[in-house]
Amino acid sequence: MKKWPAIILILLIVMTMMAGCQKQKPQNDKTKLTVTLDWTPNTNHTGLYVAQSEGFYNAQGLEVDIIQPGEAGALGLVGASKAQFAVSYQEEVILARAQGVPVVAVAAIIQHNTSGFAAPVDRGIKSPADFAGKRYGGWGGPSEQATLDLLMTKAGKKADTISMVNIGTTDFFAAVRRDIDFSWIYWGWTGIEAEQRGMKLDYIPLKDLDPVLDYYTPVLVANEKWLQDNPETARHFLAATSQGYNFSRRQPEAAADILLQAAPELNPELVKASQRYLGPLYQAEAPRWGEMRAVVWERYADWLYKNGVLKEPLPTNQAFTNDYLPSAN
Amino acid sequence: MKRWRPIVKLPSWLLLALFLMGWEAAVRLYEVPAWLLPAPSLIGRTLGEQIVGILPHLIVTLSEAGLGFVLAIMLALVLAFILDNLPSVKKAVEPLLVASQTIPVITIAPLIIIWLGYGLAPKVAVVILVCFFPVVVNLLQGLATVDPDLVNLFRTMGANRAQIFRLVKMPAALPALFSGIKIAATYCLMAAIIGEWLGAREGLGYYMVLAQKSFYTDRVFAVIILIAVVSLLLYHVINWLERRLIPWNYKNEGVKS
Repeated sequence: MKKWPAIILILLIVMTMMAGCQKQKPQNDKTKLTVTLDWTPNTNHTGLYVAQSEGFYNAQGLEVDIIQPGEAGALGLVGASKAQFAVSYQEEVILARAQGVPVVAVAAIIQHNTSGFAAPVDRGIKSPADFAGKRYGGWGGPSEQATLDLLMTKAGKKADTISMVNIGTTDFFAAVRRDIDFSWIYWGWTGIEAEQRGMKLDYIPLKDLDPVLDYYTPVLVANEKWLQDNPETARHFLAATSQGYNFSRRQPEAAADILLQAAPELNPELVKASQRYLGPLYQAEAPRWGEMRAVVWERYADWLYKNGVLKEPLPTNQAFTNDYLPSAN
Repeated sequence: MKRWRPIVKLPSWLLLALFLMGWEAAVRLYEVPAWLLPAPSLIGRTLGEQIVGILPHLIVTLSEAGLGFVLAIMLALVLAFILDNLPSVKKAVEPLLVASQTIPVITIAPLIIIWLGYGLAPKVAVVILVCFFPVVVNLLQGLATVDPDLVNLFRTMGANRAQIFRLVKMPAALPALFSGIKIAATYCLMAAIIGEWLGAREGLGYYMVLAQKSFYTDRVFAVIILIAVVSLLLYHVINWLERRLIPWNYKNEGVKS
């Protein structure tokens, strides 16, 4: 008879369900946390993956799940308590808090802003004065216009001569091939990729242009209420994460391998070179990894307000805290 | 007799009012923060405040959607004519047409932008991609259900293929064509916005990206409402056109209602 395909199908379903049940055994009594990345895994996130795979989280009694947000913003997920931590950046934290999203920055992943404006050399963009009349590919951040205005004004040019296009998540290399002259990149990732591709870039680091632009990006953020209710768990999490980034600083090669294990689809050469570049920059001259200075927060929030990105001034003393970081050793 | 027809009927209004009231009450009762879910009253206020800033973006999106929509219909007409006359090609192409619809637009749209740049072209292409299919499928079905006796009659009277298509098949397939066009009309704005979402310098999609990045959820919802209203209007313009162009399809309606 022709019943056996149906029987096999039913058997398969039952077996799958049984397999599912077996996996659902309670594993341990560890506290489960979710960290949402801001982007696909890259060397900004290495410390998290190291802490996960080297068992630093486990040692602190945590079980940490690292997820990618896709198009849903990581910060919104934390604000809505769907994740406890997220990778974000200073501008986003400030704008979010201005709208009442309850998020607080708890650690600077990299001490200084490693992003900047990059263009293929044939576009002749050596300084912000050369932006005039060029096509800029942005990601749709509210402060982009203000940043370009600032730089152009300093260079004595008119900002409205720049043609702004939101290129969203399009790859930098695809965008600059035809439609875009310059864009905003993280040197530690896209800049190094360009080097490896043998593509010559003119690169203008943001932090050299104006002190206000040396803001914290990326940062780790947490839900404000959760932080108040679970200070110890937050401390455990940041102790392990800090261990992860210190490991990445001291052993960039091993850290790169760990990131590659977690995200095998990444280009190994890029990850290794990027890890060597970022290693010394995670902590830089700060007394400990993650520490943030109030002046950096105030300066940037003030500037956002003065340039109309923020409608009202935002007190930044609530927007970040160093209280949950492990003490320097 | 000519009679004024409300675009949205009373039961719809009642349902909508009930829904909005429930929404408003829930937001107030549970004190949902505005960035998470704004109350309808706030969305209405925001729409009123922001409409002047939104209108230029709406015009951009409408022109992308309109252009893509018209091109999709023209393309569908041409393809349907060809396929209807070449049954063997139709057999070969039809499954491919269906398969083309299983491609998630959201995954192919970034590629279209890389191919065509950041201007008008990629948005129009996404609109065509989305709107083309419902029109061509409905039209083909309409053409296939034409009374074969009528076709044979015209053939014996010496009509050629083009004449048969124009005089017999097309009029008979018009109702089907219009139902396809109506589906496409409801999709075309959404398709243009998907295109803008992924890369643009103006348009409603661009506006919404900026609003979302600033956590202005009320502005995002305000635009959504605008999109719904405009889509509804578009749908009814098509409906009106249909009544003008193929009144015979509606001749019994006065008796029915």
